[in-house]
Amino acid sequence: MRKTLTAALTGLATILAAQSALAERVNVGLLLPFSGVYASLGNEIEAGFRLGLEHFSDDLGVEINIIREDTEVNPANGLARARKLVMQDGADVLVGIVSSGVLGAIRDFVHGAQVPLIVANAGNDEATGERCSPYITRLSFSNGQVNRPMGRWMAEQGVRRVYTLGADYAAGRQMVGGFTEAFVEAGGEIVGQGWTPFQQTQDFGPYLAQARASGAEALFVFYAGGEAISFVNQYDSFGMAEVMPLYGSGFLTSQLYVNAQGESANGVITSLHYVPTADNPENTAFVEAFQASIGRLPSEYGVQGYDSARALVEAIRTGATDRESLANALRQVSFEGPRGALSIDPATNNVIQPIFVYETVSGENGAMTQKVLATLPAEADPANGCVMPAPVTN
Amino acid sequence: MFRHTPLRYAALIILFSGALFTAFTAGYFGMEILTEILILAILVLALDLVAGFGGMVSLAHGALMGLGAYAFVALATKAGLDPWVAASAAVAITAGTGWVIGAICARSHGIYFIMATLAFGQMGYSYFFEQSFFGGDDGMVGPRRFDLGFIGINLNDSRSFALFCLAILGVIYLVAMAILRSGLGRSLTGVTHNEKRMRALGLNVWRVKADVFGLSGAMAGIAGVLAAQHIMFISPKMLHWTVSGEALVVVILGGLGTLVGPLVGAVAFVVMKHELSHVTTYWHLIVGLVLIAVVMSRANGIFGFIEARFRPKTDRMIQSIQTRDDAKEIAKDA
Amino acid sequence: MTPDLSFWTMQTLNALQLSMLLFLLSVGLTVIFGLMHFVNLAHGALYALGAYFAATLASHAGFWVALLLAPLGVAVVGMALYGGLIQRMRKSGPMAQVLVTFGLIFVLLDLTRIFWGDLALAITPPAILAGRVDILGVGYPAYRLFIIALGLGIFAALALILSRTQIGAMIRAGVDNDDMAACMGINVERLFFIVFCVGCGLAGLAGAVAAPLLSVTPGMGLEILIPTLIVIVIGGLGSLKGAIAGSLIYGFVQTFGAVLLPGVASILIYALLAAVLLLKPVGLFPAKG
Repeated sequence: MRKTLTAALTGLATILAAQSALAERVNVGLLLPFSGVYASLGNEIEAGFRLGLEHFSDDLGVEINIIREDTEVNPANGLARARKLVMQDGADVLVGIVSSGVLGAIRDFVHGAQVPLIVANAGNDEATGERCSPYITRLSFSNGQVNRPMGRWMAEQGVRRVYTLGADYAAGRQMVGGFTEAFVEAGGEIVGQGWTPFQQTQDFGPYLAQARASGAEALFVFYAGGEAISFVNQYDSFGMAEVMPLYGSGFLTSQLYVNAQGESANGVITSLHYVPTADNPENTAFVEAFQASIGRLPSEYGVQGYDSARALVEAIRTGATDRESLANALRQVSFEGPRGALSIDPATNNVIQPIFVYETVSGENGAMTQKVLATLPAEADPANGCVMPAPVTN
Repeated sequence: MFRHTPLRYAALIILFSGALFTAFTAGYFGMEILTEILILAILVLALDLVAGFGGMVSLAHGALMGLGAYAFVALATKAGLDPWVAASAAVAITAGTGWVIGAICARSHGIYFIMATLAFGQMGYSYFFEQSFFGGDDGMVGPRRFDLGFIGINLNDSRSFALFCLAILGVIYLVAMAILRSGLGRSLTGVTHNEKRMRALGLNVWRVKADVFGLSGAMAGIAGVLAAQHIMFISPKMLHWTVSGEALVVVILGGLGTLVGPLVGAVAFVVMKHELSHVTTYWHLIVGLVLIAVVMSRANGIFGFIEARFRPKTDRMIQSIQTRDDAKEIAKDA
Repeated sequence: MTPDLSFWTMQTLNALQLSMLLFLLSVGLTVIFGLMHFVNLAHGALYALGAYFAATLASHAGFWVALLLAPLGVAVVGMALYGGLIQRMRKSGPMAQVLVTFGLIFVLLDLTRIFWGDLALAITPPAILAGRVDILGVGYPAYRLFIIALGLGIFAALALILSRTQIGAMIRAGVDNDDMAACMGINVERLFFIVFCVGCGLAGLAGAVAAPLLSVTPGMGLEILIPTLIVIVIGGLGSLKGAIAGSLIYGFVQTFGAVLLPGVASILIYALLAAVLLLKPVGLFPAKG
């Protein structure tokens, strides 16, 4: 029955694709959360995406038409909206997806309907692992990719005994898991792990006290959004910095929250695929433009949207305007962006990018800023059971 | 006893023909919305049965629906059962769970009842959120739709599926009506109006409540099975208390304790949500204002408002006295 | 890992701190219910509003001004709500009230998003409360001790007002039987108004106090709503004693559950709620027997 469905979708996809190929116009379905807990991320990705189109799509000769849909961070709703974008609005390519749950929900649909999807955030390892698809290209990051290098780096710095804390959901487990795996491999020891109920934990006091009692040398954590702010503020208020330095996945001290954390975030060392202070000309231009149009510094979410737009434009420049050719071209984009040299791993369709290890420090006039401690070389994720045909090279 | 006035029949006919008309004229997304409305309608019918007629305001119905969806998907994909068998088992499971929840909560009233059902619902949510066997917070893929090939219907076609849901909704409506007209339904009405008196008359009150809650749970389970087949993906979000809260809003918005009203509410709510979310990301604000306005009009929801307009004056006065008494009684229970 | 005495001291203080924050929130809600027989689901939204008011005020006039004015601001909002909505809903039955306050959640949530945006805000606690205080050999954050002290202070003040003053007696009479209280010449409507506004003010105070500890996000009101409802239902509706008992139970179960039974931490409090309602269908200390 699955087959008949796929066949039906394929048939429909071909018809719609044929129609849209006639007009020199690419319909982009922008599928992001504009309400709910991740609304700020959705807005930032959209801002970056529009800025990217503005910068790179001059003299493209193809009109790019954006249709926005709100996932409300709800997998079922995200899938319904993805179907609407494809079946009704004739989207040639989908861009967006913040939460891994939504990505998991729409994966089979976009794969079956053969619609290219540019993932601009969701990092679940399976999406470019065992559930990978030639139609899904990820321009953001994978959960393991961001944290594995940090495990090795910390071990190299001589940190031996670490306690970990994380939000108890799939992404949290993968982020901390990626770190743990690499850290133990490099000779480190995990002395204990705590998991806090996701989006139900307001007070991290009990968990911090446990971490402290563990006698570990350092603390590695993953938190994002409101939880990241609460956690860093509470970590600081307990005076933990004196006994147990804080390391983490870079989302903890994202540019998006670091102003709310203020001095509490001073000295926290984290790893991420982007920092606003990255020293390269593309980034300088991007940061300037983003500040001019939005009025604040961009975060990793902004750059993910920006690079997604650039990848789309580069794919269109190869002459691709229908679904099949766009999907194929997207798998082969590579460019120097604000994050450094980006390329797509043909084996998994995940982005290959350098990882920054950075310390959050207080900068001029009280604002917090990022001091890059190391730029770890880009490496491809292991295939994790991903099997798919290689892209057709032009 | 529950009876249908001519107005209710008229509303049912309009709703039914509206659904049929949409099913044969709408484009792709219109069909999706129609199906969404039909499945929500089943859920709110189940909720109206307990909340509107039994005074048992439940915040566990979203969880019961989700449980039905999870049980169906797990049995159909992990255990490899035939979809019909899996669906029947899933409905039996939600009926049983509903019965147990109803039995345990039967002694509580008002806000305490709401909170007790909330506790059970959230336990279910947390369970499925954390169980990696059921995909954790990432959810599960792969439920198949029913195979109606033997009568020449392919449910993978979205129109066929919408009509299938409409048929199921129709059957459930008739079942709900039959329940309300049966001895059980009359006992339930008696319990809602005066629990002490019914107890003094020798009625096994908790049993009545548990039975009705179990039947309602079965209906919620059916909604869950259909939702899983419609979306072809399930996640713990379905079990979250906000889903139950939204269903409750739909019931009250449409008209509590009228069976027809919640159907009207489901149509109004889903259409309003989809139309507004295109205009503004702040559509909750407008929905909230509409809710407040509807309640401030002092009618029993949208349908109650319509009924009040069409009813002779004397009848209206009796009704308003009755609602006031009912309200007092419920407040007293709380 | 060998937790010692200082570990348990710290966890006890954590539990107390959480309890006091919840107490500030739940006491207003429960007394409003006891008196007016309806659950103001928008109570959490008012808490969020308090936090936002405080965040804005703190950035202009400092923490202490914010702590004082934010609750007043929320109380004013409460007044407007009472005059515009609640008073007219008094006779409409509990279902209608639930729906109106549910609608208010939607409205207030989006209004905070419109005025303050989706990005999280935060407040730095004042310098005097920024450090740590040594208690039984444990360096405990001064700000958390301040929350504990504030909660206990409010509890003592409310207990005193309810048991010793005339208005307290009137409130107790109203909770007991509002029709009878009205017959005895108590201006019940005015009583409702005062209690409602004070309850809203306390919710605003809780928001302002929580802001430096947590982060200020549009969703914070919805997040805290369920814990608050659990507190007042476990404690029993309408009574001060219930609110404090429920808060302490919630705070200690959450904190020590996280430490001792991490695997079931997220369902523990719901299981407890179900158990309490099974044994005592109206909570532990309801206002009316």
